[in-house]
Amino acid sequence: MQGFFLGLSSGAVCAAYCAPVLVPYLLGEGRSVLQNFSALLQFLLGRLLGYLAFAVFAWGIHASLPQDIAHRNLLIGAAYVLLAGLLIFYSFFKAGRACPSAGGQEIDHRLCDSRSSLFLLSMGLATGLNFCPPFLLAVVTAADQASLLQSLLFFLTFFLGTSVFLIPAPFLGLLRGFSPLHLIGKMAAGLIGAYYLFLGTTMLAGGLYR
Amino acid sequence: MMKEHPPHAKPSEVRQSPGKSFLYALPMMLLTLMMLSGGKIPADPQRLFVLAVTYLFFNVLFFLMIHTGKTDRYRATAFITYAILFIVSFISHMFEARGSMSLSQEKIILCEVPFCHLVIPMTLIPAAFTKTIIFPGSITGGFASIASMFVIWIGASLSMGRGWCSWGCFFGGLDDAFSRILKKPLIRKIDPRWNYLPWAVLLAVVLTAAAFLSPTYCEWLCPFKTVTEFQAVTSFKILVQTIIFVSLFIALVIVLPLLTKRRIQCSLFCPFGAMQGLTNRINAFDVRIDPDSCINCKRCMTACPTFSVTEESIRTGRPLMSCMKCGTCVDVCPKGAASFHVRGTPVAVNRNIKRLLFLYAAFLFLAIFSGGTIQDGLSRIIRLITTGSMI
Repeated sequence: MQGFFLGLSSGAVCAAYCAPVLVPYLLGEGRSVLQNFSALLQFLLGRLLGYLAFAVFAWGIHASLPQDIAHRNLLIGAAYVLLAGLLIFYSFFKAGRACPSAGGQEIDHRLCDSRSSLFLLSMGLATGLNFCPPFLLAVVTAADQASLLQSLLFFLTFFLGTSVFLIPAPFLGLLRGFSPLHLIGKMAAGLIGAYYLFLGTTMLAGGLYR
Repeated sequence: MMKEHPPHAKPSEVRQSPGKSFLYALPMMLLTLMMLSGGKIPADPQRLFVLAVTYLFFNVLFFLMIHTGKTDRYRATAFITYAILFIVSFISHMFEARGSMSLSQEKIILCEVPFCHLVIPMTLIPAAFTKTIIFPGSITGGFASIASMFVIWIGASLSMGRGWCSWGCFFGGLDDAFSRILKKPLIRKIDPRWNYLPWAVLLAVVLTAAAFLSPTYCEWLCPFKTVTEFQAVTSFKILVQTIIFVSLFIALVIVLPLLTKRRIQCSLFCPFGAMQGLTNRINAFDVRIDPDSCINCKRCMTACPTFSVTEESIRTGRPLMSCMKCGTCVDVCPKGAASFHVRGTPVAVNRNIKRLLFLYAAFLFLAIFSGGTIQDGLSRIIRLITTGSMI
């Protein structure tokens, strides 16, 4: 329960870290509330995978990685670059391109859906590897767990606690009737992508970013 | 049943005789005298001279607005003067207080950074959730405190909505000035989808400010840092930020307004302006186009410097919510179809009274808000001429 309560108590910060990625996407897609819930679940699954991967890591190395600034910057930098790539791709290349399913072919529809799922999973994974302050707290606590299973459980419950704060996000689907929001969402994704790209590349480049 | 319309207002109807104009301008004369002098006439001759010049400047402009029936040219004169003298005054202040325009880490840690209204959209979410203001300024007291700017912003939003961007903003006069230099625009066609960019910038800066708890627009995108204050370049990150804001200033405030004759920074980029558009919905004043007297010449659409008049808005008689109430469309309309309007009243009646009501609110705000800065700017220019130094 400790992980869950830690997640609940700091989930607003997690939501603030995920919002720049999730909100432009949900606005840009202009889907219904129900479809947005499905998109959120895929995003959260990606985030969970990121958390669990880190749970193994944190337990294995007893939290030495996040304390090493150079390594931490490398990992966050890579996550930012991945996020930036996804957001910029979404903004410039996916924007305005009609889904093949518009033709009504089932196989194309499935292909389109699977691409969208992969996109959401990747965004979730990249935000899952993001060292927001609550995540760092969780890493430090998880590193004290006696076994790998306990570490995994801790991260799982922490994930559940933080996810509560993302439940309102799909309700952005209520605004889908206002078509300019799709364009605004895509433009915002590009701008945020550019911001993450700079943060990520400078972090990767090491000591340059202060 | 046939709907009866009152006779259409002609542009000449808003012109007033000199005597009537003087009477209409009298309340403004008294109010500005009280507000600019602060209730006492300065004994120092230089300060007295500056006060007199500022007072005459505002009241002559207001008198001409009423006498000629034209709004925009006199508004722009005051608005552009304000922007230029704001820069003179602000930079002089910075040199006096810090010895340079650049901002040191020490000043940021001590929370001595002057607060500007452009930060407001970024502070709202973090303030609601964390009860902190994510800007290194002082809450009360000091130069340009956070509380004073919030109070001024709320007052301006209630009195004129997005009219703030044409009557109150101390930066807006810069791209307004550059948009007036050429007689004809060199770039005419601008994709209307760019109208949504300010909303995207707003969304991006609000979300990133909430995530990183820092005013991302000020740090990365604000073009006006070029002419006010900026962080001293001590790292690669600050160097990149500096290159970005100088480039944006050149592109959005100088080059594009010059080529398009439109206020590009204010209408296609500023996130505060986008948010301020929402206050147009709750404000008592707006601009309307009377469909019965409109001859569809589209002069208003061509002249609007903020892309707020479209074919659709001419049809519906309402400019978009990005309208900054500058009065350009009202001035160019050959049939007097475009006019300032008070919500809840019929569009085509008492046009002149509605215009006067708006002008009292907007011009008084401009005179009071900018009066101190204009006086300070003028004093510093006089000091420069007489002593060779502005500080």
